[in-house]
Amino acid sequence: MEEKSASYERVVYKNPSEYHYMKIHLVLENADTSISAEEFKYLIISGLKDLYGEVGAAIPFDVLTFDQTALSAILRVFNSGLVKLWSALTLTGSYANKPCAFRVTQVSPFLLALSGNSREMEV
Amino acid sequence: MVRLKARCVRTNKLFFPCFVSFLDGCGACVYVCRYLLCEVCVSQRSKLQLLEEKAIFQAVKSAVAKAHGEYGAALFSIGSKVTYLNAYTGVVMLRFRKAFYQLLWSALPFINSIGPQGRKVPCFFNCIYVGGTIKTCQKFLVRYDRQQLYRMLPHCKTGAEKQEVRRAVQTCSHSFYKATQQEDDDDDDDDGGEEGEEEETIVL
Amino acid sequence: MSPDLGKCSRSLLTCEKSNFLNEQSRHEVHVSRHCFNYKISLLLPECEVLPVRVENVIHNFSSYYLVRDLPVYKFLEEKWLATVVKKGSFYALSCKTRIDEDNVCALLPSGQLILSLDKDTYEHLGLEGRPSLYSHKKVMRYVVSVDLTNKSLVPGTKRYQQVLLCLKERVMLRSDFLLTTCHPGADKDGALHNLLSQYTYEECRPTLHSQTLKNLFCPSLHHSDLRGKGLSCTPNQFLEWLGAVNLNISCDNSAVSFLSTYMCPEPRAPVSQSVLCTVTGLIPPKDVCRLLKELRCYFAEPNFAAWVSLTVHGFVDCPVSWGAAEHGFFKGGENLYNFVCFKNQDYWLYKATGSEDACPP
Repeated sequence: MEEKSASYERVVYKNPSEYHYMKIHLVLENADTSISAEEFKYLIISGLKDLYGEVGAAIPFDVLTFDQTALSAILRVFNSGLVKLWSALTLTGSYANKPCAFRVTQVSPFLLALSGNSREMEV
Repeated sequence: MVRLKARCVRTNKLFFPCFVSFLDGCGACVYVCRYLLCEVCVSQRSKLQLLEEKAIFQAVKSAVAKAHGEYGAALFSIGSKVTYLNAYTGVVMLRFRKAFYQLLWSALPFINSIGPQGRKVPCFFNCIYVGGTIKTCQKFLVRYDRQQLYRMLPHCKTGAEKQEVRRAVQTCSHSFYKATQQEDDDDDDDDGGEEGEEEETIVL
Repeated sequence: MSPDLGKCSRSLLTCEKSNFLNEQSRHEVHVSRHCFNYKISLLLPECEVLPVRVENVIHNFSSYYLVRDLPVYKFLEEKWLATVVKKGSFYALSCKTRIDEDNVCALLPSGQLILSLDKDTYEHLGLEGRPSLYSHKKVMRYVVSVDLTNKSLVPGTKRYQQVLLCLKERVMLRSDFLLTTCHPGADKDGALHNLLSQYTYEECRPTLHSQTLKNLFCPSLHHSDLRGKGLSCTPNQFLEWLGAVNLNISCDNSAVSFLSTYMCPEPRAPVSQSVLCTVTGLIPPKDVCRLLKELRCYFAEPNFAAWVSLTVHGFVDCPVSWGAAEHGFFKGGENLYNFVCFKNQDYWLYKATGSEDACPP
């Protein structure tokens, strides 16, 4: 039924992924402000627009997950937009006229790597 | 003096046209530049007379800030300048740092008016040439303006007008060739071109 | 746009295809060379609950110890050398130390003690090392490697005295450590307990977490098509999808969605239920080998699954990745490998590393 088992094969890819993945969370001064995933993405886009203008606001990125209680999210962005997105996140300073900050926990070209971060180990 | 790019052009003249020095707190910085020759296209040619360097600088600045945000505005704020403006032909020469000129250039199509509030001149920018030195831009501009004159010729209505244009073509080609031939004999380097000199040649 | 803003650091992915039955297959070597494993994630499609035999293997994983504030020079003491270090299969890794900020220490089963130190500590310590491979213009990190099984490091020799002096008197390196031995009988005689008795320590068990995922879209894989030329998706798409499953990311977005446009790669097939099981702790490679062996037997019983996947994540702050190859953190510190096992005993092995890592073997 199965064809004969295949011979050895090895491929090495340099920069295999066209995306980078970022695990971030938002720190708000007022902890019980609720924010939806759409508002969250809009906040990031407006941060991009402030720093990189309308061209920057058009950088495509995805919010893969968003946890409303912890305000943490996983973003996916093209390699070419990573530095711009990251710097815009760093310089985003206010949400609804209240101070806020984005903390970047982990950045990786492999989404799988975000699921196994030993820095989160509880011992 | 801080040299951002270790390239030096040795000439027998004192000009370093590829570099522009800026004095800042710690000393002079030398940047490699790009010059963009742009045509400001307006609906009524008489409005061209209203253009001034400051207004154009502001228009470009705000266009860059809008398209590229604070990052673009910061890049624009160092080393950018309106080097030359011809209010008759509507030709503007903009100077940007070479490393970022493409980014700043990309904002030019988004300019749709120039001038302060209330006295806005609707227009658009048409980039006609990108050069590394003022000299090459100048050479191009002379050639370009002569072509424009030839194009004007069939549109002339009266004989006097025709005569005027012909004379202009003749003088400009005459003086231009005389000037370039002389310089080409001197050196083959990419140097020369003081602003005053250049205006003398270009103004028709 | 400015060219500098579009650049990214490099990452590497190696893909291998071979067969477990092939005599030259090096899967066990690859597993055993990856010393410090933090997390294992197992995905079994078309499976309702975790098979008992697999669960048993996981329950038999060796325990690890968390020791508080252990000085590094202790590893050099005669008792330690004789009882644990020289026997091999002893793993120690400093924990809660970050390789891009702090001093990190690891003891490999080969007896190599590897210290990744910042510049100041290195200069105080006085042990010979080499600058980190991933330094920038100015070297800020050094790697010191001491082979504890070397003959010149027998207690009493000059070299031994010197190393001990450096680690004990000059700079007293100490940190919390994760330790494990892979001898099933080793902790029975209590040798390790004895050694640890003067420190606060606790014995930890790897934590098992298992869940059943319903109605999942799985990419279809064909064992002959490693590169993804039509019968399978590309290696990168597959790893992305695995990550999405592990992180509970929804794969059914539409192309016009504002939030996310991520979709399960083609070709794909719906799978009614699959088991996702994760084990976290300090897992020695021998246990991974045992689990891999059990997974190979998984296909002996009739089931619908075409493949199963085993992912192993290394510690991000470990000074080594494969063998003694230097590892750094930079942006994510990823060093992971993934086995995809097929019914006919073919397997694919993906190994991924980030920018501060050599190419995986």
